[in-house]
Amino acid sequence: MVGAAEEAQLNRLESQVDNGGGGAWEYLCLVRKLKARRSEKVLKHGLSILNDPKARSRLGGEEWTLYEQVAIAAMDCQRLDVAKDCIATLSKKFTGSLRVGRLEAMLLEAKGAWADAEKAYARLLEDNPLDQAMHKRKVAMAKAQGNISAAVDFLNKYLEIFMADQDAWRELAEIYVSLQMYKQAAFCYEELILSQPTVPLYHLAYAEVLYTMGGLENLQAAKKYYASTINLTGGKNTRALYGVCLCSVAINQLTKGRNKEEESSELQSLAAEALLKDYKHRAPEKLPLLSTMLKNMKLIS
Amino acid sequence: MGAECRYEVAQAAYIKLVLHALKHRCSPVSGLLVGRLSDDDASTVQIGDAIPLTHSQIGLLPSLELALIQVEERFGAQGLNVVGYYHANERYDDAELGNAAKKIGDHIFRYFPRAALLLLDNKRLEELLKGKGRDLALQLHTRDLSKSWRQAGLDGGNQLTIKEPSANVLLLDYISSEKWQDIVDFDDHLDDISKDWLNPDLFK
Repeated sequence: MVGAAEEAQLNRLESQVDNGGGGAWEYLCLVRKLKARRSEKVLKHGLSILNDPKARSRLGGEEWTLYEQVAIAAMDCQRLDVAKDCIATLSKKFTGSLRVGRLEAMLLEAKGAWADAEKAYARLLEDNPLDQAMHKRKVAMAKAQGNISAAVDFLNKYLEIFMADQDAWRELAEIYVSLQMYKQAAFCYEELILSQPTVPLYHLAYAEVLYTMGGLENLQAAKKYYASTINLTGGKNTRALYGVCLCSVAINQLTKGRNKEEESSELQSLAAEALLKDYKHRAPEKLPLLSTMLKNMKLIS
Repeated sequence: MGAECRYEVAQAAYIKLVLHALKHRCSPVSGLLVGRLSDDDASTVQIGDAIPLTHSQIGLLPSLELALIQVEERFGAQGLNVVGYYHANERYDDAELGNAAKKIGDHIFRYFPRAALLLLDNKRLEELLKGKGRDLALQLHTRDLSKSWRQAGLDGGNQLTIKEPSANVLLLDYISSEKWQDIVDFDDHLDDISKDWLNPDLFK
């Protein structure tokens, strides 16, 4: 998860480096810190540091971190020759290291040698059965081969051991959504909300799944979670504002206005107003479109 | 009805959807196709524009519903409809049309019975980028009488044509100047409403 401010900072630094303004190392550090996937840029700027002995020695011990970063970026860009060189250098320095062993197995993956990679991971896991990154590689490998049901199995087994890994719960939820297994996806988001009740993203994702499932009960719950997203974001989340509108229209269609509680609720008209205000300030050219839509939904007159 | 129906894609729609897929290389991307039946020949669907929708999960309804409502409202006034849907898969070597995409296709089909699903063909796109191929980097899928989606043109017929023959040349030009960075989809719009999903400045 990269926030908007952090992403802006990253983009600024990236264009500075691209235009020869320096700061390549700071850029690479930020990419690592945010876990951003900018492989092409990392490969380009990382390699130019590695190929310059002076710049490289200035890094001191961090040099090896950069080798690892460039190796992974190179695999992502299918520059296997570069990845191989980086990994060989690391392997010479850290003989028998688990972390380098993982890179070597990843290189097998990148080559498409799935069986060999699997063997390599199995061997590494024998000595370190609790290495989370390794378990996750197995999930990624299943996904890369299009074997989604295996990926789901691995993730479920993984989550039995590492229950607090929120990224893994999110990944599982997203896979379930892609398989249209909404009940299971909803369960994952419930886990996430329980463990981190103040993250608006989880409330929003849960609401979207509930809305997709449909039915009166789910729609009513979806509306509540959209409302809590609005609450947690101070009304800044466009998706949640729209969500409240969509839910109230869908609920009214199902109950044909018989639901007294719904009719008296001000929530949807407040959400509609907030949307109108937001569009007026930031996207005036889309305002007519929005107001026609809200009028058709009978949320504004 | 699928067999006799022909589809003519405008250059703008074609370039937009390929650039959209290139911008998000490691996610599935999708969008809507707008157009209308040709005036001269009612069995030809003219696909005039592509509206980039998402670069994340396509299995969720809310943003899709919003996009459909707004796109129909925006283009309905010009006599244009949503005539189809495009999709690019997450994995490079995945050339199958997924279930969620088919369901969205079914939905569009209810309102426009000649609906088309276009799937980005990664192999052909790669050939194009190498300067080898000349075909469109697209697969056309249409709904047959048994109500299932089938890839068209496998029997040698060509139902999918491009309006401007120079489209691929222009596309390569746009790719080499990294124009794909400028593509905005409906997802981006919902994150920041000042971004316009119509991409009015893309071809300027």
